[in-house]
Amino acid sequence: MRLALYVTCLVDLMRPSVGFAALRLLEATGAEVVVPEGQTCCGQPAWSAGNRPLAVALAKKAMAELEAYDAVVIPSGSCADQIRNVYPQLFADDPHWAGRARVLAERTHELTSFLADVMKSDFAAPDFAGSVTYHDACKGLRGLGIKHQPRELLLKVRGLSLKEMPDCEECCGFGGAFSVKFGEVSTQIVDRKCDAIAAAGADAVVGGDLGCLINIEGRMRRRGNETTRVLHIAEVLAGGGEG
Amino acid sequence: MLAAGRSQAMHFHARAGEKVRNAVLQRALQKAKPLFVGKRAKGIASLAEDGLDFEMLRSTGKNIRNRNLADLDVWLDIFEERATATGAEVLWARDGAEVSRLVVDIARRHGVSKAVKSKSMLSEEAHLNEALAAAGIRPVETDLGEYIVQLAGETPSHIIAPAVHKTIGEIEALFATEHGRPLETRTSADIPAMAQEARAVLRQHFLSAEIGISGANFLIAETGSAALVTNEGNGRMVTTLPKVHVVITGIEKVVPTLEDFATLMRLLPRSATGQSISNYVSLLTGTKREGDHDGPEKTVFILVDNGRANLLGSDYQDMLRCIRCGACMNHCPVYFSLGGHAYGWVYPGPMGSVLTPLYTGIENALDLPHASTGCNQCGAVCPVDIPLPALMHRLREEQNERGLRPWSERLALKAWAWVAGRPALYRWFARRAARYLNWLADGSGRIRIFGLAPEWTAGRDLPVSSGRTFHELYSARKKP
Repeated sequence: MRLALYVTCLVDLMRPSVGFAALRLLEATGAEVVVPEGQTCCGQPAWSAGNRPLAVALAKKAMAELEAYDAVVIPSGSCADQIRNVYPQLFADDPHWAGRARVLAERTHELTSFLADVMKSDFAAPDFAGSVTYHDACKGLRGLGIKHQPRELLLKVRGLSLKEMPDCEECCGFGGAFSVKFGEVSTQIVDRKCDAIAAAGADAVVGGDLGCLINIEGRMRRRGNETTRVLHIAEVLAGGGEG
Repeated sequence: MLAAGRSQAMHFHARAGEKVRNAVLQRALQKAKPLFVGKRAKGIASLAEDGLDFEMLRSTGKNIRNRNLADLDVWLDIFEERATATGAEVLWARDGAEVSRLVVDIARRHGVSKAVKSKSMLSEEAHLNEALAAAGIRPVETDLGEYIVQLAGETPSHIIAPAVHKTIGEIEALFATEHGRPLETRTSADIPAMAQEARAVLRQHFLSAEIGISGANFLIAETGSAALVTNEGNGRMVTTLPKVHVVITGIEKVVPTLEDFATLMRLLPRSATGQSISNYVSLLTGTKREGDHDGPEKTVFILVDNGRANLLGSDYQDMLRCIRCGACMNHCPVYFSLGGHAYGWVYPGPMGSVLTPLYTGIENALDLPHASTGCNQCGAVCPVDIPLPALMHRLREEQNERGLRPWSERLALKAWAWVAGRPALYRWFARRAARYLNWLADGSGRIRIFGLAPEWTAGRDLPVSSGRTFHELYSARKKP
């Protein structure tokens, strides 16, 4: 099986360790893992802003790069949602691309659902001393049905205990451009997420989408919380460290 | 677009800031949200006791509403014919101004000086209260929330809980002034006593008003009836005590049969308040008959377009399925950070973010379709499965197609897409950006003030990496 790892722009720019953690997890499944050379952006920002032509152009580029693989895995529910749910819509009326978009959509997976549902992999889980609480990112949860997968995987980690926060399915207020366009509203929403995390009393908050995590961490630190760690699930499952 | 003249939707961004900083409002909203969410969750869970499944039921509800809309003209014709046969009059209004004109006409013809009203959001669209007052007719809102809002000189901030933005303390102070029972003589937060007080005032109005004005949750074509779903009972007073009853409702509210109505009733109260059925469900047909104890001598239906017909057959037709339950706003993180007034027109929350641009002009509400995190909590709870985020997205697209987005945003997106289309260039830019962010963070791993995204760093730090991109580190690793 040849897998493509699509790392997402946010991971590339803001937190490469997530990309390397995902890489290690995928390599551990025994599959051949490739990081396609030309990958840049799946086009979600353009799509969200309502700019269809730009979204279409970037989607075509991503499709050309990714369709050669048996599976595409993305450590992000929102980018996976873009390829799985939006690409087929984008090309619904384009006979040349519609079939290709559908095939790619079926082969594309968010990381935790790939590990838990597709590979059903039993990986050598690292140790993690402490408790975590899990934030369900919206696009993964409501777009892809990702709910039990991350929890199943986390419970394989030795020494880790899961403490659910209240309203773990509530949005954190990131919403991509929303967080910059309506910063005050976004901050107000993430404040409540920080309260919920505090109520869980865990050592770390874990999620599957870097956007949410940057938002949560940014607000938490501004509120003066320096101790609660904010981790991508790939980092927890693969053990820390880069490269 | 007559409605646009009164809409404040263009000021969403500025108002949002005010609302976020309003501590009293925030207290009211934070208290209300879990109640709404918890009640609905219980209501939906209780469907299982009746052997019903929410997803199945909502797909039935969606199909019923789709069938209504597919032949809307037919059902409206049948409704008109049946309602007329029962002795009611059926009038049609193109827009809000026409609604006001018709109602004022009716009121004048019957020489009335006071109108009692049971909640009608459409009368808000029509600015009916102002029109009545200008014609010398006193409109009295009788739904408790609506009554409070009217006393305060405000507009409803929610479609089923009009005064949800107010704290008990604010309402107490308002009642103290308006009802002449000073604060110092009151027991604090005695809600039953406050309700009694309002009831005493309203009872006088019910008995003395000569005209009752209500909305309708549904119109039923087969019987020519209006269906009214209420909890306080004021709706029954308004529609049976005065000698004239005017029903104002949107043309999309018509359903073919009582059976369709019964199915939708399994969804509406549960989605709104979590109740399996509301305290009162009134089916109002025709006028007072021989031997009836009460009921109006004259019933008039005013069926209103005000932008609705435009949506038929458009990309936005799904929005007409809306049964006005409020579940979307009750589950919306944006709505509960701001309250309804920030949205600037009659309908708030996700359904308002779709309806306001469509009814008042897309160019007059540019922010609303973007005022969403895309979380789809609204779409997940909608009892008739309206894809609210997709409709907001379609509005964003239309803004782009019509060149209504700010040039700075268009330029930024174009530049981003241009770079992202060229991998080598993208890598180079990303490396530079990572270095720059790291330099701004000054070794601390976080940026506290960021000129490019001031709205981000106003309330949050921006955590950054060590100044190297993934692809840069990955290529370095691959080289022997």
